[in-house]
Amino acid sequence: MGDRLLRGLVALVALAGVAVAGYLTYVHVEAAALICTGGGGCEQVQDSRYAELAGVPVALLGLATYLVVLGLVAWDSELARTLTAAIALAAVGFAGYLIVLQAFVIDAWCIWCLVNDLALVPLLALLTVARLVRRETARP
Amino acid sequence: MPPRPAKRPPRPLLLARRKLLLALAGAIVLVVVLVVASLAFRGSDDEGSAIVSTERDSSEYLDGIPQNGAILGDPGASLTLIQYEDLQCPICKQYTEGGFEGIVAEYVRSGDVKIRFVGLAFIGPDSEKALRYVLAAGEQGKLWQMNDTLYRRQGDENAGWVTDGLLENVAVELELDFAKLRTDASSASVTQTLDSMSAEATRREIPGTPWFYVQVGDGDPYEVRPTSLDFGAFESILDAARG
Repeated sequence: MGDRLLRGLVALVALAGVAVAGYLTYVHVEAAALICTGGGGCEQVQDSRYAELAGVPVALLGLATYLVVLGLVAWDSELARTLTAAIALAAVGFAGYLIVLQAFVIDAWCIWCLVNDLALVPLLALLTVARLVRRETARP
Repeated sequence: MPPRPAKRPPRPLLLARRKLLLALAGAIVLVVVLVVASLAFRGSDDEGSAIVSTERDSSEYLDGIPQNGAILGDPGASLTLIQYEDLQCPICKQYTEGGFEGIVAEYVRSGDVKIRFVGLAFIGPDSEKALRYVLAAGEQGKLWQMNDTLYRRQGDENAGWVTDGLLENVAVELELDFAKLRTDASSASVTQTLDSMSAEATRREIPGTPWFYVQVGDGDPYEVRPTSLDFGAFESILDAARG
């Protein structure tokens, strides 16, 4: 898989992440977040004390992270690639923590959070690490 | 003196591994910072949610307030607060344990406001079973006590928490005739009420629960959107409606 393709895929996953994290941020700050819509435990997760970090919605942190990743993909330097991989790996760790919170502390599951934590974040980490490793090993 | 061998450039695999380790180290530091910050600066129970809940263990705050089916309060009250709820909705539970009690104490008990219950069952099978028993309790003049008690015993969504045993215990606690309650819960009358409540919610395009309307006198009910579900948010809405 060429670097160009990997770069495009990273951008694609980051864009999907912007959509999911953007939606979660919207429902958190919008008053309508204070209702049950039949979407499972999303309301409970979004309304929990862990949904904010020092007053900042966790979903907003996710949105900012994906935007930073998009910026780094556009920058496309050695440092940007290393930083992107570091951010994506950190996101995997934090997503794991959020899954543990949903399972054992909040005792409710938010489907869109799971899409992010179990699909987008690991995929982003995989692609950014592959890009970092491939770039070096493919050098003449 | 023999010439010193030229320093060999690092092998690509080694370089890749080094960068990966660097990224991994940065990631670990970042995760530790985020998790520690999340645990240290998480919202408190009061500020994480806009709803202040009380740890009530009975429905005594409803004692002495007139009830007629789904209506709580003086039938002559000029202001009606219409509540759309699902017994499985955790936000409805928090509202009932929080803002609702204040509304009852300040506006319903004084006869200024009456509340009309509109039960919905869109979350799942437990919602409908619980709703049927709440409506059936209305036949014995205790719809609101049943509603309040079931919220306090609320389990995980669709986990089968509305068991016959739970309903019988609640009936005993509220001094209801359980045999009648069970018969009424599956009666045509309760089914009809349930259907008409559902139709009303569909007509008004209720997006979720809890959802609220206010009706002044016999005028057309209008939608209200409290900024939070605590008492203060409703206080301003009800005061404005009273004029």
